[in-house]
Amino acid sequence: MPELLHFQTDFAAALRERRSTPAMQRWLAGSDELVERRMAIYRANMVAAAEKALASAYPVIRQVVGEDFFHGLAREYQRGTPSTSGDLTGFGATFDAFLAAFEHTRVMPYLPDLARLEWAVHRAYGAADAPDWDPAALGTVEPERQAAIRFHWAPGTAVVASGHPIVRIWTIHQPGYDGEFSVAWDLADTALVSRDGFAVSVNYCRPDDAAFMAASLAGQPFGNAAADALAAHPHFDLGALLGRAISARLICGFTL
Amino acid sequence: MTDIVQSLSGSGIGLRQPHYREVFERLPELAFLEVHSENFFLEGGASMHALERARAAYPISLHGVGLSLASADAMAGEHLAKLKRLIDRVEPVLVSEHLCWGGVAGVHFNDLLPLPYTGEALALLASRIDHVQATLKRRILVENLSAYVECRDSEMTETAFLAELARRTGCGLLLDVNNLYVNAINFGFDPVARLAELDAASVGQMHLAGHTVVDDCLIDTHGSLVCDPVWSLYEEACRRFGPKPTLIEWDTDLPSLDVLLSQAAQASAIAQREVAHA
Repeated sequence: MPELLHFQTDFAAALRERRSTPAMQRWLAGSDELVERRMAIYRANMVAAAEKALASAYPVIRQVVGEDFFHGLAREYQRGTPSTSGDLTGFGATFDAFLAAFEHTRVMPYLPDLARLEWAVHRAYGAADAPDWDPAALGTVEPERQAAIRFHWAPGTAVVASGHPIVRIWTIHQPGYDGEFSVAWDLADTALVSRDGFAVSVNYCRPDDAAFMAASLAGQPFGNAAADALAAHPHFDLGALLGRAISARLICGFTL
Repeated sequence: MTDIVQSLSGSGIGLRQPHYREVFERLPELAFLEVHSENFFLEGGASMHALERARAAYPISLHGVGLSLASADAMAGEHLAKLKRLIDRVEPVLVSEHLCWGGVAGVHFNDLLPLPYTGEALALLASRIDHVQATLKRRILVENLSAYVECRDSEMTETAFLAELARRTGCGLLLDVNNLYVNAINFGFDPVARLAELDAASVGQMHLAGHTVVDDCLIDTHGSLVCDPVWSLYEEACRRFGPKPTLIEWDTDLPSLDVLLSQAAQASAIAQREVAHA
């Protein structure tokens, strides 16, 4: 193995596992004790980088579990799912699955869904700006072809369904929230995440609207998405949803 | 390759989110604003909008922390492609990276990790920087590192290594005066002697920052005022290299904007004074 690769392989192992640190003594100047202490600085940096990235994507979970516990979560998550890129924007994408499996968070069963909501918010924050679009274009589609329309939803738009009151939990942990803090724990919220200009908003989404949007966001043509939603929710009001989605600029184009 | 580095002079600060609004309202007199490239590897949204507003009012310096030029196995082509897209969008006046590695074998530590300064590393870095400059179609600046460990196998000093890299690739150097001071204390060398190893023409930018003292080690935290010995070393660097665009780096425990502006003004005053005496 070339020397530089050998050095970096040993260095990486010592960062991942403290017990691998003695292998660094052949590479680094100073006493064994000094090498141990200095490598600990890099090990702490590694955890801090992961924690900072996770805290940026999951500010509500950090408030819910507390800073100390979150630090421990970040360390454990990074250990099992280390970063693979010099760009941390995508780090933390599987935090929901980690929280579902981690034994010390099983007592908070709403955390994985809350994580999925926060990740959708994180993705929406940096999503592309929606293009300008004139909804009048929809009027040019012949009626017999309308079922084939595939809507283009504004980048960042997402639906997150949960068996827990995640929209409520998210809302009361926002900066500047000054209402009361009660949570009806038996409610099941579905969240609509969207970009309103540069701001990301989280709103309650009706289950029937969510069924249509989830299918449409997944690329289903309009006809299929509407039929699925109506089958599950006979009172689904498609016209009302489309009206709201278009006026809020959640729909910003279509293909046939 | 166009040498736009020479067209920039004066001091700048990092543009960080808590200061966005105040910077845009006050538009303080600054030579440039710096951002970390990776924080803007986004398609759109509030951060990109802020960067575009900043770009309309100031030259931008893109400072990368994740390209990992010295990874022995591979450098991420995808990361370089993202940097290229950001450069095309922002048209920065400076683009810089670090003399470091950040990951190996598919795992990234998102840190600036040191390496032995050997002929093998020099050959690797030279080919990487050639590739980066050819891809980006511009000169980049490469920054000296702060480090907490020292490699036994180094065949030359970090500054001699950087000087040779500049000679081989035409890259510029970003002299981080605080990093040089941190290493001088951590490893016990004379930082002024290290300045003598650098060629004035290759230095394209300087950085100033604060550090933290933990036991017997200085840690490069970018979270406090520039200390007196670092100001003194900066004076010496200005005497040797002339005035260079200088950044006040502050990334943790962000102070008020006025503190950053006052540090930047102090850097400008030193640069002007030392050049007048030179």
